[in-house]
Parts: sequence; structure tokens; C-alpha cells
Amino acid sequence: MERVKMKENMDYLMSLGTAIFAALLIGAMIMLFYGLNPFVGYQALLVGAFGSKYSIATTVAKMVPLILTGLATAISFRSGIFNIGGEGQLYLGAFAAAYIGFTFTNLPVFVAILLAVLASAVIGGLYALIPAILKVYYQVDEVITTIMLNSVAILFTNYLVNYPFAADQGKMGGTNMIDAAYKFPKLVRLSKLNTSIFYTALIALFIYYLLQKTSFGYNFKMVGENSVFSRYAGISNKLYMIGAMVISGGLCGIAGAFEVYGTHYRFLQNISPGFFFDGMLVALIVRNNPVGIVFMSLFFAVLKTGSTSMEVATGIPSEMVLVIQSIIILFIAGEQGFMEKYRRFKLERKEVA
Amino acid sequence: MQEKIIEFKNVSKRFPGVLANAHITMDIRKGEIFAVVGENGAGKSTLMKTMYGLHAPTEGEVFLHGKKVEKFSPSYAIENGIGMVHQHFMLVPSFTVAENIVLGNEKRKHRFFVNEPEATSVVNDLCKTYGLAVDPDLKIEDVSVGIQQRVEILKTLYRGADILILDEPTAVLTPQETDDLFKVIRKLVNELGKTVIIITHKLNEVLALSDRVGVMRQGKLIGVVETASVDEQQLAEMMVGREVLFDKLDKKETSGDTLIKARDIMALDKRGFKALKGIDLDIRAGEILGIAGIEGNGQTELIEVLSGMSPLVGGAIEMRGKNIDGLTPHEIREIGVAHIPEDRLVTGLSKESSIEDNMLMGLQHNDQFSTKGIHINRKKVGDYANGLIEKYDVRTAGKAVKVGSLSGGNMQKVVIAREFSFNTPILLISQPTRGVDIGAIEFIHEQIIQKRNEGCAIILVSAELDEIFRLSDRIITLYEGEITGEFKSGEISKKDIGYYMTGKRDKEHGTNDKKETNSTELKGGE
Repeated sequence: MERVKMKENMDYLMSLGTAIFAALLIGAMIMLFYGLNPFVGYQALLVGAFGSKYSIATTVAKMVPLILTGLATAISFRSGIFNIGGEGQLYLGAFAAAYIGFTFTNLPVFVAILLAVLASAVIGGLYALIPAILKVYYQVDEVITTIMLNSVAILFTNYLVNYPFAADQGKMGGTNMIDAAYKFPKLVRLSKLNTSIFYTALIALFIYYLLQKTSFGYNFKMVGENSVFSRYAGISNKLYMIGAMVISGGLCGIAGAFEVYGTHYRFLQNISPGFFFDGMLVALIVRNNPVGIVFMSLFFAVLKTGSTSMEVATGIPSEMVLVIQSIIILFIAGEQGFMEKYRRFKLERKEVA
Repeated sequence: MQEKIIEFKNVSKRFPGVLANAHITMDIRKGEIFAVVGENGAGKSTLMKTMYGLHAPTEGEVFLHGKKVEKFSPSYAIENGIGMVHQHFMLVPSFTVAENIVLGNEKRKHRFFVNEPEATSVVNDLCKTYGLAVDPDLKIEDVSVGIQQRVEILKTLYRGADILILDEPTAVLTPQETDDLFKVIRKLVNELGKTVIIITHKLNEVLALSDRVGVMRQGKLIGVVETASVDEQQLAEMMVGREVLFDKLDKKETSGDTLIKARDIMALDKRGFKALKGIDLDIRAGEILGIAGIEGNGQTELIEVLSGMSPLVGGAIEMRGKNIDGLTPHEIREIGVAHIPEDRLVTGLSKESSIEDNMLMGLQHNDQFSTKGIHINRKKVGDYANGLIEKYDVRTAGKAVKVGSLSGGNMQKVVIAREFSFNTPILLISQPTRGVDIGAIEFIHEQIIQKRNEGCAIILVSAELDEIFRLSDRIITLYEGEITGEFKSGEISKKDIGYYMTGKRDKEHGTNDKKETNSTELKGGE
């Protein structure tokens, strides 16, 4: 890597570090304002996230949906087509995977899981294909269609689990359990950490390779940066935009499947508390960089896990974490502006000196 | 010795990281035409913006009418009689000429309503006083660029300007319009005692018009000379800082097969109006066909249909014997076409990407750079990019630099390097040297001629007539989407071709006054 690029990345990491630090600082000020000790608060947060084998496992488990939906966001945003419909794709994917799991109960475990993951990816991808086609062929704004399709998918699966596919025992907004043999083994007893973390790592590696090392990744990036240029140079914008959207939808579907097979073992009507939107924030903060997504997912997971313990231990509401997240986003959104100001300031100082 | 109307004393302007103006000391005399020349980025505009109060100098002093300027603001400049005509006109297209002229200083009826009749009469008076003819009731969007410029000048005069700063005023004008503008400028100066400062990089115009010239280079004022005492060669050397040889380009005799054959082609512009109304073209291998025309007469659309960027609505185009109707830009490139687009930032580059990635474009699936067309071999791409950077003399800190941070000339070299390296037999070239420095222009011209000598069929669109004349073997004039003339190199002069560019077909020009431009004739003074 050349020095120019290194410097660019270093600059960004510096800004990111500053943004996180500033956000934590503001969080501390809010705690002080309410008469709480921020040191105690943050300590409780860290202990909650890393204090025991169990808490570490919980933190790591939380990374799974964040990484997958973060990567889903990254590939679509990079390509200049904005998939905000990951939540709906996740619900449909989760349902499809659960359906495989409770319907075909006598398959070899490997086949069943492969089938479930494939089904979730295909369903998620197909669901993303609708807004992609509307966008590419009819210039319908994909941001609006994908947001609306979220509600459609969530409410549709709600209907499915409450009526045609309601669990045989008890009305609790869930399907029947998947076959016990299909459940992803747990890595740490009592925690939610399961083997899906390994699959997620494989997927992350694959997406990283696709985006950063291949000609296809190059094309996705070029289409996203300047679609007139990419068309002029001979790339089929339509193909790549649709492709990015479908892959994005597929990844969200898989995130849904992992929730079913690793955590709940059935489809639940509220299976995701907005995983996709958290993943989207993760991707936005690190500017759709696949490596960055993994690290930022860890950070978000720490905040999430830690915040619950923080609330229990110190009484600081766990919503404080949302405040911190939002402030980071705010700073990162303004990063370019801030950095420009800072550079000018530095240059002027230098010239005076 | 005339009175000094503006004086710069040791003026410097520093922007973060660059010294745009370095210790400039000069004066401008009342009633002269003063030209400021220099390459792009030499600091001309910065200096003029200081004069117009758009920013304050970092150090040094500016005196206006012998008084030190304490406050740098455009309103102060306007109050003190400075008017500026920007390169990109600041007019409201849907307003009339009169409305645009009085805008900001309009007479009101009942405080809220513009007094239209009064505006019209004010403008008519202005036109009479200054001998500039415009129809005050026409909308700006309906008048030619030359007239729009005249409106800009009238606007500054309406506000009482004694000193007019014109930034690249001839960039968008035809030779005739340029002549008209020069007449206006001379009249303003000689008969009405105004002072005119003109910023330009066209040396022939400087020589034709100005009394004195200030030459700038890299933020410094290289010298101020009496125009009469220098020639074009000397000025060019002062500007570039070394000898500039506008050598005659070495054109080999070539003749080859017809590679582009277009019959009766029609195309629509962005708004859906017919921009090409049935055009025939034949371009042979080893030939450069120059398209001369005022911008907006179908050149853009011609290149777009040839490259597949926009669809053909009538007629047929064959390239190397293949009908290109309905083909995508990719499929047309496969035939053997490379394309240097008119707007490099919109079409020709991704500014967010590195030089390397911009040079890879089009070759990313090539076995040479990616294993099985998939895995990009960064080492090879990097070597390739470094090679092109060297061959095409792209001035940069390295191949990883974002294209968006390069200068215009270097960006253009990136585009040219990429497209020329495809080694295609057909080249579509549009505005190859727009916003490019003199030194780089020379280089780009040589590259184009080399391609021609290698046997490429080249179509060249340029707003610079000099460029068309220098490079073309054959020239076609386009006016409102139709071909109005076709000439072999040397058959017509730059001066005469303007008549074809404004829609005349007959050779009897000059005497007839059937000019189609709406009431735009320069009255008064003659």
C-alpha cells in the first residue's frame, strides 16, 4: 500500500477515534449532570461486556447480526443503490429458514442447514430484487420502496406465525421449533454464542475478498462512485446495481437464518429488534469498509451488552448507549467538514509560526 | 503618464497550503486596456478577486483611485466603480434582459413591484449611451451567449462601473462575437474613458486588444510589458517559463479505409429536442475530422450517439462495418472505439478513486490484470499505472492519489492515458485540452497526431478553433444540428469559418446583414 493511502486511512482512524472519545465524553457529562459517576458507569459497562466468560460470549454473539447486516449495507451503498430494507429481508429470510427447519425434519444436519441458509439468502435476495428492478428500470427511489417493504415483510411474517404457521402449542407469535438436531451448537454454556460466528467470519472474509480484491468489487465501487463514468467505460450499471441489491438482501436473509438456528430455534414475530438498522449505522461509521465493519460491530456489541449491566449495577439507563452511538454518527457525518477546518487551522498555525 | 487607478503594493494571498499570489506590485492606469495572462492556476483569478473584494489579501496594500482599500468586499468595489464580468455568467435565464440588468438595484412600484417599463427605458438609455444593442424584453434563455455577455457588461455599467474586469470573456464566443466584443471594449475605453482589465490565456487576443500585459506564473507577476513591444512567442515564454515551440505538427500522409460511416443521423438533446437533424459523416483511418461549432449546436450529441451514451433516433452509423444502433457503450468499445469525453469530471473519471483505479477502468476483466478476469493483480495494475503516469507525464505524488485532487490538466492526462492505451482504431475526442495548461496542450496535441499517424480514425470536437485548425485534416461546421460546411485543411481561414458556425452556408458573407441573431447587431460607433 502506498503512503498516500496509508495516510488517508490513518487520518480516518484518527477522526473516528476522536469521534468515539468525544461521544464518550459527552456521555460522561450527561451522567454527571444526573449526579452519576461516569467512571463507575463506564467501568460497569466494560465489566458487563468483558467481565466473565459468559459476558464475553454474549458480546461476541451480538456481533453476528451486526456484521452480516453491516456488510449487506456496505455492498449496496458502495454500489450507489441504497438498501434500507434489510430488516424486512431479514424477517423473510428467518422465516424461510425456520420453515425448512420445522418442515423437513429428517434430513442430514449438514443438508438441512445448507438448505435453510440457501433458502434464507434466496428469499432475502428476491425480496431485494423487487426494489432493485423498480429502481433500475423505472427510476423508482429505492430508499422509499425498501423502507416500505420492511413493514410489508414484518407484518406478513407476523400474519404467518399467528395463523397458518402458528406453533402447535401456545399462541406466542412463533412457529414450531426447528428439528433439535439442526440447532447450532453453543460455544459457551448458557450464553447465546454459537457456531454461527464461524459462518459469519467466513462470509465476512468472502465479502471482503469480493469487494476489495476482485474486478467485480471494483465494478461495484465504480458504479457507486460515478455511474456515468462506469457506463461510459463499459460496465453494465443495471446488472451491478441489481446484483449489489440482491447480495445485500441475501446477507440480511442469512442474518435472519442465524437468529433462528443459533438463538431462538424458531421464527418469532419480533425476531429482530432492528438488527439491520444497527448494522447500517455500523457500516456508515466505517464508510462501508468490510474490515471496519467487523471492528465497529464489536464496539457496538460491547455497548449493547455492557449497557444492560451498567443499568443494573449503577442505575444509569441503558439508553445512554443510544445517545453515545448517535453522537458518534453525528461526528462522523460531519467528519469531512471538521477535518477540513482542522487542516486549515493547522496550516495557518504553521504559517504564522 | 496617465493617472494610476488601481495600485497593488506587495500584495500576497495565501490559501492553506498554497501561495496564490506572491508579492505582486503593479498598477493599472486610467483609460487603458490591461490584460492579465497566465496559465491555469497562475493566480490571475485570485488577483482579480482581490481587486473585486471577494477576498482580502494576506499581506500588502491595494489602492483604488489613490485611496488605500481598507475593507475588501464586493459592495465596496462596486461603490468605487469596479465591475466584474465572470467567466460563468450570473444571469437569471427566465428573466428578461432588462430585469437582469436592474436586478438588485431595481426601481420599485409600491415597494414590492418592479417597475418594468422604467427598467426597459433605463436599459434602452444604457444601450444608447454605450452603443451596445440589446433587446431589453427578450428573455436571457432565448438570447445567444454573446448577448448574454453584453448583458453582463451592461449590468456592471448600470451600477456605475468605471473599471471593468472581464474574466476569460472570449471563452464562449465565436470569432465574430469576439470581434464585436473587442469593438465594444475599445469603445468603452477610447470614447467613454472606462478602464478595462481582461483576464485571458489567449495570447493572440491579448496582442490584438490590450495596451499593456501583466504576465503571471505560479502566483508571481513575471512582468508587465507594453503590448506593442512583444510578440506571441515572447509572451508564451514568459507565461510558461521556458521556450514554447508550437512546432508544426508532423503529419504523415496517410489514407485508409473508412472506419466511421454515418448516414442521416438524428439525436435528441437532454430536453428531448432534436439536436442532430440528419448528418452524414465519413472518417477514414489516418484522418482527423474536426467538428467546429459554437457549443450547443449538436457536437455533444454527436459524440454521445457515436459512443453509445445516448440512443440514435434516426439514421444509421457503421463503425468498422458494424451497425452500432442499439449497442451499449461497452459493445461499441468492443468494436474498437475509445472515447475522450467532453467533461472529464462527469463522464471520464471517478474523482473519489485513485489514479491507478481510474487507469484500470476498462481493463479490470482483462487477463493481463486479473486472474481469470476476477482476482485483480494489484502489482501488475500498479506497474501499468506507473508506466502510464510516466509516459503521459501525469504530475502526481503517486498512483494512489485521488484523481479529484489533481489539476485539470493532469486529470485530462489520466483520461487520455487510459483511452489511448486501449490502442483502438477509432478515437472519439471531445474538448481534449479544455482547462489544460499550454505545456500540456502541446503534449496532448502531439499524442493525438501520433495516433493519427498510426492510422486511427479520429473525430475531434473542440471549442478552441485553434485546436481544430491545428489538428484536423478535414473540418465540418455544425450549426443547430446540421452540417453547414465542409473544408479540407487549409481551405478556409479561422476568420471565415465563423460564418459557417453561425448558420451561413454561402461564401458571400460579411456584406449581407441577414444575421439570424436576434437584434444583436452592434449599432452605434460605426
